[in-house]
Amino acid sequence: MNNLPVLSARGLVREERGRGNAGWTLGPLDLEVAAGECLALVGPNGAGKTTLLRCLAGLRKPSRGEVAHRGRNFAELSRRELARRIAYVPQVRPASVPLTVREAVELGRYPHLSPFQLAPSATDHRAVDRALAAAGIEAFAERPLDELSGGERQMAWIAAALAQEAEVLILDEPTTHLDPRHQRDVAGLLHRLHREGGATILLATHDLELAGLLGDRVLALAAGRSFALGAPSEVLAADSLATLFDAPFQAEADGRAARLSLAP
Amino acid sequence: MRPLHPRSALALLGLLWLAVALGAPLLGSQPIGLLDVLRGDPTALAIFWQLRLPRVLLALLAGGALATAGLGFQTLFRNPLAEPYTLGVAGGAALGAVLALRVSEGLGALGLPLVALASFAGALGATALVAGVAMHRKESETGTLLLAGIGVSLSTSALILFVQYLADATQTFRMVRWMMGGLAVVGYREVLWLLPWTLLGLVALLAARWDLNLLLAGEEIAASRGVDVPRLRLRILIATSLMIGALVAVAGPIGFVGLMVPHALRRLVGHDHLILAPACLLGGGAFLALADLAARTVMAPADLPVGVLTALLGGPFFLLLLAVRRGRG
Repeated sequence: MNNLPVLSARGLVREERGRGNAGWTLGPLDLEVAAGECLALVGPNGAGKTTLLRCLAGLRKPSRGEVAHRGRNFAELSRRELARRIAYVPQVRPASVPLTVREAVELGRYPHLSPFQLAPSATDHRAVDRALAAAGIEAFAERPLDELSGGERQMAWIAAALAQEAEVLILDEPTTHLDPRHQRDVAGLLHRLHREGGATILLATHDLELAGLLGDRVLALAAGRSFALGAPSEVLAADSLATLFDAPFQAEADGRAARLSLAP
Repeated sequence: MRPLHPRSALALLGLLWLAVALGAPLLGSQPIGLLDVLRGDPTALAIFWQLRLPRVLLALLAGGALATAGLGFQTLFRNPLAEPYTLGVAGGAALGAVLALRVSEGLGALGLPLVALASFAGALGATALVAGVAMHRKESETGTLLLAGIGVSLSTSALILFVQYLADATQTFRMVRWMMGGLAVVGYREVLWLLPWTLLGLVALLAARWDLNLLLAGEEIAASRGVDVPRLRLRILIATSLMIGALVAVAGPIGFVGLMVPHALRRLVGHDHLILAPACLLGGGAFLALADLAARTVMAPADLPVGVLTALLGGPFFLLLLAVRRGRG
C-alpha cells in the first residue's frame, strides 16, 4: 500500500505506579514494525514486555511520546477504530468464562457490530467460521470454554482475535503454561498466519526458540529500555542472552537461539 | 443441553408475569373472585383496583428493577455476589431517604420528590464510593468490592441509627417500618413514578448488550475488542443507581432479590444480556410480587414487610453462594 510502518512508536514513555511506592518507567522507546513483519519481544520478568504490548495495542496511553498505526496517532482513534486495526490476546484471563468457543469467537466481531444490531450478520458468521478453521478448532466450537484444556482455550482466544480481522495481531506469552504439544500447535498456527497469511504479528515470550523461529526481528527489553534490537541470530546469541538474563547460555548450531543451561 | 430455548424461556417468564399481575390481586387476607370483579361488585372492584393491583404492580416493577440492577452490578464487577444491597447502594439510598424523611414532614406533595432526590444522591454517592475504592486497588477486585460494600453499608446503618436517635418516637417508628422495605401503597402514584426509572435501567443494559457480554471475558479482552470500559462502567452505574434510588424512595431497601433472581435466571436463559436483562425484569418482578403475596397472607391480617421476607430467604442464599463458588471471579 505505502511505505508507512504498520505500527510505530516515537519517544514512547509509560510511567507505571508499581506496588507500594516503587514506580517504574518503560522507555523512552522508538520502534517501527513493517507490514507483514513478525517482531518477537524477549526479556526478564518485569522488563516491561506486557506494558509495551499494551501500549502498542492502545490499551494503555503513553505518558509521553506517541504510538501510531499507519501514521494515524492512537490518540485520534476511538477504542472501536483501534480494535478494527489491532487484535490483542492477553496472557491473563478470567479463570472462568461462561461462554462457548463459538460465542467467544463471535465477540471478536464486536468492533464491526453496530450497537443496534440484534444478531451478528452473515459477514460476521463467515469471519467466525474462517477464524475457527484457521485455528483448527471447529471440532469443539460448540463446547463451553470452561470445559477445555488450557491449550485448547488458548487456541480459542487466538481464534477470537482472528475474527476481529485486524491488520496487526499482538500476543502476550501465547505458549506459557501450555504442554509441549499445544506449544507446538500455537507455534504452528502463528507460523502459518505469518508466513502464509502475511500477518503482522508482535509477541512477547520467554520461549527463546519460539522467538527465533517466528521473529523476523527480536527486541530484547531490560528494565524498560531496549537492550538489543535486530536479527534473531544476533539478539538470541549466547553472550547477548547471558547478559540480558544474567544466566549461562550455550550456543546452538546454525544460528538458532542459544539454550539455557539448567544444570547447576 | 439446556432443556429450553432461551427465547421460549423468556416467553414463559412473560406468561408467568402476566399470571401474577392478574392473579395476585385476587388473593390476600380476603380473597375475591375474578367473576366478582368482572361483574362489577363495588367492594371487589375497590379492593382489586385501588388496594391490591397498585401494590402488585409496584412489586412487579420493584422486583424487576432490583434484579436488573443486580445483573448489571454482577456483570460490571464480574462478581456473582454483587447487588444493590450487598454493595451498599441500597444503604446509601436509604440514608438519603431517611434524612429527607426527617425534614420532609409537612411538605405533603413535595415529600416524594425530596425523598427521591435524596435517595438518588445517596445511591449515586454510595456507588461512587464503592466503585472508587474497588478500582483504586486492582489486584483483588472481587474481595475488595464486597468489603467496600460492607464498609459503606456499616457507615450508612450507623448514620441512619444516628438520625433515628435524633427523631421523635413517631418519626422513628415510620423510619424503622420503612427500613424494613415494604410495598404497602394505595393508588398508582408510586407505580407511575417507578416505571420510567425501571425502563431506563433496562434500556441502558440492553443498549450495552454486546459490551456486557464481552465483559464476561474480562476487562482486558473487552477493551481490546473495542469496548470503552470506563465509559461503559460509568453509564451502567449511573443508570442502575438512579433505578435503585427511585425504588428505595418509595419501597425502602429490599435486599437480596438482585442476588437470587439473576443467579437463577442465568441457569434458565443463559448469559446473553439481550435475553437475560428482560428475563430479570420479568422474573424479578414475578418473584417479588409472589413474595409480597406471601408476606401479606402468611400472618394475615398482619402485613409483614416484604423486605423482611426477602432478607430471611436471601441471607442463607448469599452464604450458600459464597460456600459453593468455585475459585475467584
